[in-house]
Amino acid sequence: MSGTTPTEQSSGSVLNRLFGWIDGSLVSLCLASLVVVVAGGLVQVSFGAFSMTIGEAWRAVFDPAVIFDPQVWQVFLLGGELPDLSRRTLIVWNIRLPRVFVAALVGANLAISGAIFQAVTRNELASPFILGVSSGAGLLILLTLVVFSGLAAYLPLLAALGGMFAFVLVYLIAWKNGTSPVRLVLAGVIVGTVFQSLQTGLFFFVDDIGVVQSAIAWTTGSLTGTDWEQVRMALPWSIIAIGLALGSSRQLNVLLLGEQTARSLGMSIEKVRFALSGVAVLAAAASIAVAGIVGFVGLVVPHLVRNVVGSDYKRLVVGCLFAGPALMVAADVGARLALNPIQLPVGVVTGLVGGPYFLYLMRKQQNIGEV
Amino acid sequence: MSEQQSGDSQQMVQHGETDATADGRASVEDGSTRESALTGDALELSYPTSEEPVVECDRIDIPRGEITALVGPNGSGKSTLLKSLAKQLSPDTGNVYLDGKSITEYDDKAFARELGLLSQQHDSPTSLTVEDLVYHGRYPHRSFFEQVSDDDHDAVERAIDLAGVEHIRDKQIGNLSGGQSQLAWIAMVLAQDTDVLLLDEPTTYLDLHHQLRVLETVRQLNEERGVTVAVVLHDIAQAARFADYLVAMQDGELYDWGPPREVVTEELLADVFRVEAAVNYTPDPEIVPKHSL
Repeated sequence: MSGTTPTEQSSGSVLNRLFGWIDGSLVSLCLASLVVVVAGGLVQVSFGAFSMTIGEAWRAVFDPAVIFDPQVWQVFLLGGELPDLSRRTLIVWNIRLPRVFVAALVGANLAISGAIFQAVTRNELASPFILGVSSGAGLLILLTLVVFSGLAAYLPLLAALGGMFAFVLVYLIAWKNGTSPVRLVLAGVIVGTVFQSLQTGLFFFVDDIGVVQSAIAWTTGSLTGTDWEQVRMALPWSIIAIGLALGSSRQLNVLLLGEQTARSLGMSIEKVRFALSGVAVLAAAASIAVAGIVGFVGLVVPHLVRNVVGSDYKRLVVGCLFAGPALMVAADVGARLALNPIQLPVGVVTGLVGGPYFLYLMRKQQNIGEV
Repeated sequence: MSEQQSGDSQQMVQHGETDATADGRASVEDGSTRESALTGDALELSYPTSEEPVVECDRIDIPRGEITALVGPNGSGKSTLLKSLAKQLSPDTGNVYLDGKSITEYDDKAFARELGLLSQQHDSPTSLTVEDLVYHGRYPHRSFFEQVSDDDHDAVERAIDLAGVEHIRDKQIGNLSGGQSQLAWIAMVLAQDTDVLLLDEPTTYLDLHHQLRVLETVRQLNEERGVTVAVVLHDIAQAARFADYLVAMQDGELYDWGPPREVVTEELLADVFRVEAAVNYTPDPEIVPKHSL
């Protein structure tokens, strides 16, 4: 902008203000992520118990009977009875593709949630679960499976509510004439430790291996058996959370200037911090409801995106929207197909990818941990 | 600010002042009727960790349209007092008035449109560019989701020009020297476009060139736009040359206040700063420290 003459500036200024922040690194990151999502999705629809060639899978994906039929989409998105479709189309569209969509939604939600928490706590190693969300959700999952098994049908909802409850509890503990990032993180550790212990304790009362497996799948995060039902559950909340996150990028940027500067610029810091945390918890809860507690995605993705596009949240949030799904879809390919026919919880794979990534960063970068 | 608004605030000031005089606390040393933009009344300030009040101050006036320097030794409470004037630290007792209205009555953003503060310490993401930092100064002028307006754009250009950071506007903060980054931060508070500006030790740790650049920018802002400035300065000689009005602090209390010529004396240097020094006016004040007391 410095090189342009005043006339150029005024004519291009509106466009520049709206889109000037989009730069080459962001565009390449988004394109690369899209390639990964599409490739991963293609692998997911082609392989499985009912095997088909890549060509057949492609044709099924682009089956005009689905793509151009609003009625079918209505059934997918709102529920109901599907009209007659070919067998391949049905398998691709009703079983394999929704799983890819759920993976993408979960990845986007977790990445955005992590990015917000990293700004709110001003700590690059914060994750969506830093304020107790995972421990609250985990405890309620175990309680539901072990003690209140009659409520198992409501497990997704209860898990999300457990996470939100833990977050509110963390805030209450941290509050003393206001909060601070350090107090919040400490309160998160306190609530997390207690709830984690209770959750582990509950495992002792389980005598059925099926319940244990189900509990592990929920607490490490799994996409096994997800279909349009899960898309319907997560989509509205994801849209709200993503929209709010995109709109809040400037607030997040000002938070990065430090509490004192933010306050002297007139930010009502406690309100903004609570509201932003609320958005992040909403995104995390939406992903917990459909996939359980998937670790590392919310920690690794914002980190990776920041390395590519810098710390401006306008770019960072958009980058997370693409890179989160990419990691999640790719990880789910591994979870579903690596040990075929056994399906692993996807959280196991994200952990296996996330750990080495941080090892690589630690070796390469001196100033790790700085937002 | 529109004519109407400034007329209103004028009235409020007068209202505030009569109140203060009725209290019997308004006492301006040199007898002139200075109008104050910012007034601290019966302030007692402490931090959650301190038992005793850090600052106790019956009354402090920051005269409108002038540059006031707060001076005093380390730990005398200058920064603490500045923080309370800037609504960053709420006083245990007493109140602060901006344009005659208690600062607790201002909403956070409205207050930040009237008064800007540059803290002593500030950090930012290292990859932030100078221009983006300056745009953050427009925060109080924008609503939650609002986009950049022409006013914002103009204010940012003015601030960048005034602070002289045009040549580094696209550079990242992490790649700047201490002096350059301080000027970038000054540009940010300038973009805030306030009538009152508080600066906490803006020249500490800077080389002489950048110290003068900062002070010249502040002086220019004061002369051209009539901005009221209160600045904490470490260097009493610099403060005496630069400010219109001095407030000297000692052990959390005001020691003396008034024009530099009246305040900066050998006695003050001995009492407050614990140095024996010669003070000459030629006509600029010159302070020659001799030894510590």
